[in-house]
Amino acid sequence: MPHEDRRRIGVRLSVMQYFVIGLFSVLAVSFWVLQVAEHAKFEEMAENNNQRTVPLRAPRGVVFDRDGQVLVENRHAYSISIVREHTKDLNATIRLLAHVLQLDPAGVKELVDRHRREPTYRPIMIVQDATLAQVTAVTVHKLELPDVDIEQIPTRRYVDALAAHLFGYVGEVNDAQVAADSSLKSGDIVGQQGIEKSYNTLLMGEDGAKHVVVNSVGREIRQLDEDLATEGHRLRLTIDADIQKAIEDGFKAAGDGGLTDAGAAVILDPRNGEVLGFSSLPAYDPNAFASGVDRKVWNSLINDDQKPLQDRAIQGRYSPGSTFKMAVALAGLEEGIITPETTVFCPGHANFYGREFHCWMDRKGGHGSIDLRRAITESCDVYFYTVANMIGVDKINKWATALGLGDMSGIDLPNEVQGLVPSTQWKLQTRHEKWYAGETISVGIGQGAVSVTPVSMAVYASSLANGGTRVTPHLLKEVDDGGGWKAVPPPAPQATADIDPEKLEPIRDGMWGVVNTPRGTGITAKVAGRDVLGKTGSAQVVGMQTHAADKTNKTLRDNGWFVFYAPRENPTIAGVVMLEHGIHGGNAARVTHHILETYFAKLDGRPLPATPTPDTMKFDFSDADR
Amino acid sequence: MFERRLYHHVDWALVAAIFALCALGVVYIYSATAARTNSHLYVTQLYAIVIGVGVMLVTLSVDYRAFTDKSHLVYCGLLLVLLYVLFLGKVEMGARRWIPLRVFNLQPSEFAKVGVALVLAKFFGENRGVPAWSDLAIAGLLTIVPLGLIAREPDLGTAVTLVPVFLAVAYLAGMRMRILGILFIGFVLLAPVVWKFGLKDYQKSRISTFLDPSQDAKGAGYQQIQARITVGSGGLTGKGFKHGTQGQLQFLPVAHNDFIFSVLAEEQGFAGVLVALGLYLFVILRSLEAARLAKDRPGSYLVLGVLASFTFQVLYNITMSAGLAPVKGLTLPLMSYGGSSMIATLAGFGLILNVRMRRFTN
Repeated sequence: MPHEDRRRIGVRLSVMQYFVIGLFSVLAVSFWVLQVAEHAKFEEMAENNNQRTVPLRAPRGVVFDRDGQVLVENRHAYSISIVREHTKDLNATIRLLAHVLQLDPAGVKELVDRHRREPTYRPIMIVQDATLAQVTAVTVHKLELPDVDIEQIPTRRYVDALAAHLFGYVGEVNDAQVAADSSLKSGDIVGQQGIEKSYNTLLMGEDGAKHVVVNSVGREIRQLDEDLATEGHRLRLTIDADIQKAIEDGFKAAGDGGLTDAGAAVILDPRNGEVLGFSSLPAYDPNAFASGVDRKVWNSLINDDQKPLQDRAIQGRYSPGSTFKMAVALAGLEEGIITPETTVFCPGHANFYGREFHCWMDRKGGHGSIDLRRAITESCDVYFYTVANMIGVDKINKWATALGLGDMSGIDLPNEVQGLVPSTQWKLQTRHEKWYAGETISVGIGQGAVSVTPVSMAVYASSLANGGTRVTPHLLKEVDDGGGWKAVPPPAPQATADIDPEKLEPIRDGMWGVVNTPRGTGITAKVAGRDVLGKTGSAQVVGMQTHAADKTNKTLRDNGWFVFYAPRENPTIAGVVMLEHGIHGGNAARVTHHILETYFAKLDGRPLPATPTPDTMKFDFSDADR
Repeated sequence: MFERRLYHHVDWALVAAIFALCALGVVYIYSATAARTNSHLYVTQLYAIVIGVGVMLVTLSVDYRAFTDKSHLVYCGLLLVLLYVLFLGKVEMGARRWIPLRVFNLQPSEFAKVGVALVLAKFFGENRGVPAWSDLAIAGLLTIVPLGLIAREPDLGTAVTLVPVFLAVAYLAGMRMRILGILFIGFVLLAPVVWKFGLKDYQKSRISTFLDPSQDAKGAGYQQIQARITVGSGGLTGKGFKHGTQGQLQFLPVAHNDFIFSVLAEEQGFAGVLVALGLYLFVILRSLEAARLAKDRPGSYLVLGVLASFTFQVLYNITMSAGLAPVKGLTLPLMSYGGSSMIATLAGFGLILNVRMRRFTN
């Protein structure tokens, strides 16, 4: 090679050599910047890439009845969601998923569009409570649908769908609730009604989370760690599932027999206020809410004329009718205005302040000469018109309130409403008018302005049973926070009335007669070998004080009441059954009979009575009774 | 043909560095494909290395002058094969690049680099003194023809690797710096025209997303962002063999191929990167040494022709694997998965060793 060439080649090779060394140095520095100087930033990005926090929803606490029977538990529901984070073609995913789930693609797209602005890692739920077929179909197409997630979520299951209003229902927390309670976060499922709401804090449990590694298409590769969800506290209620079933069977027979589909019943232990049974009908299926109620079902519930969402037992206000008479009697006796021997002559009607008032016995010529005991047993209206007129509305108000009427019961359920027992002061305050003595006459038989909730009537029955202690109805007996059952102290009574037991006895005699003598209006409640005390009531529907001629129209029929307690000595059960448009108190007494038969059979360890039917109940469809 | 004494002149250090890089490649192909079930790509790569060593022995044993002398035949054969591929080759992923053989698919464009290096070595080797304009034009034509054929496949990445071959050989042959400057200015002026008429949409999008990866974070920019995350998250010492997350969880596409260096950077960190960079730099500098030691000009030119495309590809691929260059289908020679590339590269190094080994023979 010529010298000149060799020299040139040598020089130019050296240039290239330095050029290459220079480039490699730049590369090395670049890698140093990425890997050392900016390492932290990229490490975080890599973790965000492949680590995902998956929330684990805590199951809510299981709810038992007083004997340990499961009333509310949890089942596994499967939700199907789209996680868009690594989706390449969202429309293709929507099309395929809709096809696989047999849903309308437009509907699925609309759902996705609604959540489009949320972060892409947040799942968009397409089906909340998927059928097994849907879960299987998605699993089969897992490879084509890597961005579709199936999640198992514990969901409420209400066994036998008993006592819907008592349990209430759960639903996604709303914005106002999140704002009010810092422990809640958006997306939480909380109780919205019933004990699910009042004991939400106990029932809710603590959500867990697991950290998982996912690959580039979002598939879970392995789990890094897991904070297990803590199940909510288990609750033991005061409810007796057998009593509860007896109530609902009785109502069902009334419904099947064409009498009524609506009503309420509250059964208490008069010694402490434990609620043994609690019903409001018509009801809804709380299970339908557990996995998210859709608009259609919701609309049909709120537009239903029968108002199935209303808890009649604590929110329904009704005229108590003749069941109010014991309060009037007690006022008369305690205030010394009457004695048990006070006698009134009932010709079937009477005139007060220029107006004619009728007794329900008017057509049969009235009760004749009648004393307090018989007036209660036979529910004489003229007797109570007369004594109410003698007592005056304020003293009636005082003693009715002492027994628990017209006041809140304090039950541990949300949204209780207050009833009303009128007084001169009440009228002055709300209507700015003077009370007219003539208005007291109707109050004497539990009509007029008197309105009560069924739960306050149950307290009233308990007060008559226990001699004046206004127990606070409550549903929670024991709580298990994971460390065993602990008794919950019962709430203190609302008040204790200073009642002379001597004064109560004649009233109780009358109530005993209602159930246990041939002339009693509630003899249908009689239980052989047991001293059951009670009182019927048939009250005109509030707002329809004038009896319409056509009583075959169900909505115009009287409401039927029966308040009761048993046994006479040391009573252990007290309560009320109210049949909306149930015509007579006697029909409510028939339902009560089944409840008491069940109660005593269980107490004695005998087999429970057979489920009643319209035939065995023999409801009375005749009209006249009051 | 192979004289025994020549054995002593083989550059064993260069051989060792080459096979160290091959081994590193096999190891990281294994790691990058470990997540896939039943993947034996690293075994296939081992076979390619064995074949490559066989071919390398041939290109080493036969005097390189025999190759350069017959390079016009090699070149013509190459053009025929490229034409065959263009019209009758196997289509995969939208490109016609392969000739299906029974065991594997042959990618002739990989061998074009060696072919062009040979023919340019011969062409410039026969001329003395500073190349004239006409020489450069002819040499350019010799480069442009296979380049065009390969670009038509389309395989722009491989086609472009022929440009450094021409530039490096012409430069070494004494091309005036002025011409180099003119070529550079011409390129700058032509770039917008090429952008408008010469590039396909996917090629344009690759370049534009390189300038701003976030404009298409899910599409073309995705790979670039993921590459940076992969490399950056490796840190100083790496996440450990097979413990990378980006590569193992397939956030990086074709990790065993175009992004093998990213996997290494993730799992062995900056320390591993320095080792690999050092090996490549050693190979290149050692080869430049061979060019310097060459007995004649065709030898020097041949070494540099082979080395030019190799160096260009190494630099580009490593830059790309750190997310610092637009994503191109350019493999990392010696490490990336790919039989044709491995065989062609080893054949090329056979020639480089050949030139050095025969520096004393006549």
